[in-house]
Amino acid sequence: MEKIKEIILSIRANKGINEDFTLTENTSLRDDLGFDSFDLAEFTVKLEAEYGIDIFETGLVENIKDVKDKLNLK
Amino acid sequence: MNVLLTGASRGLGLATCKTLLERGHAVYATSRTKSAEISELEEKFARQFFFKQADLSDPESARKQIFSPDFVSSSVRLDALVNNAASAYDDIATNMQLDEIERMFRTNVFAPMLLTKYFLRHLLLHSKGGSIVYISSVSAHTGYKGLSMYAASKGAIEAFSKNIAREWGAKSVRSNVVSPGFMDTDMSSKLSEEQREKIRARTSLKAETSVKSVAETVAFLLSDAAESITGQTLCVDSGTI
Repeated sequence: MEKIKEIILSIRANKGINEDFTLTENTSLRDDLGFDSFDLAEFTVKLEAEYGIDIFETGLVENIKDVKDKLNLK
Repeated sequence: MNVLLTGASRGLGLATCKTLLERGHAVYATSRTKSAEISELEEKFARQFFFKQADLSDPESARKQIFSPDFVSSSVRLDALVNNAASAYDDIATNMQLDEIERMFRTNVFAPMLLTKYFLRHLLLHSKGGSIVYISSVSAHTGYKGLSMYAASKGAIEAFSKNIAREWGAKSVRSNVVSPGFMDTDMSSKLSEEQREKIRARTSLKAETSVKSVAETVAFLLSDAAESITGQTLCVDSGTI
C-alpha cells in the first residue's frame, strides 16, 4: 500500500497537487483521486515497472481494492 | 538524445542512423536482418549504437524483443522513435492477395502503432516528453500504378500520427510524418529506367529524392529546432505535384 501511495503522490505532484490524502481500499481512482485517462496510464506504467503486472490488461479497475487484487497484494 | 529507430539495416534507415550518430545521439536500432553496414556502425560508434534483430511482421514478438531488459530497458531514457521499417507489396488491385496485404500491414501499420504504445508508456514511466517520426511515402498523396495497397498502409500511418499528435501533445509528445519521394534505395530497386524517368518527370526538380535530404529532415523533426512542429507531414519528394 505504501508503494502504491508513493506512485499516486508522484502522479499528483506532476499535476501540481501536493496535498496529502488518506488511501483506503475504497478510494476511487477517478472520483476521489481525480485521475483522468492520462493519469491512469501513468499509474499503470509505474505499477507495471514496480510489480511486473499491467493492471488494465484484464478488465476494469475502479478503486484501490481492484488495484491490489490485480497486483495480487493482500 | 536517445533514439529508437526501426529498419536500420539499409536505405533511409541506415542513412538516418548515420546522421543521428554523427551528431552525437545514441541510436537503438532494429531491423529484420543485420547488414555489414550495421556491423560497421557497431564498431565505429560502439558507445552510442545498439542493435537488435527484430521482425516487425510479428509486431507483438518484435516489441517484446525491443522493449526488453537487454535492449530498451526501463533504465534507458528514450527521447525519440523513428518508425522507418516498411515492406512493399506492389501489384495492381485485381491481383491483390489478402495474406500479402496482412503481412504488409503488420509491418507498416500495426508494428509502428504497437511501438508507439510502448514508446508512450516508456515516456510516462520517466515523466517526460518525446518526439515520433513516421516514414510515409509520396504514394499516399499521389497515385501510382501498382502502389494502391502500399499507399493505403502509408495513409493509415499518417492518420495515426495526426491523432497521436492531438492526443499526446499535452504530454509534450510531438508526432510527425516524413513523406519521401522515390529514392534510389533497395525499396525502389525493381523499377525499370523507364519507370524511373516517368517518376522523375512528375517532380518539380526533375530528380529522384535524395536519401540524405530525407534523413536530415527526420533528424530536424526529432530535434528541439522543431519544438513547435507536431501533427504535420513534411513531403521531401523533389516537389511531386
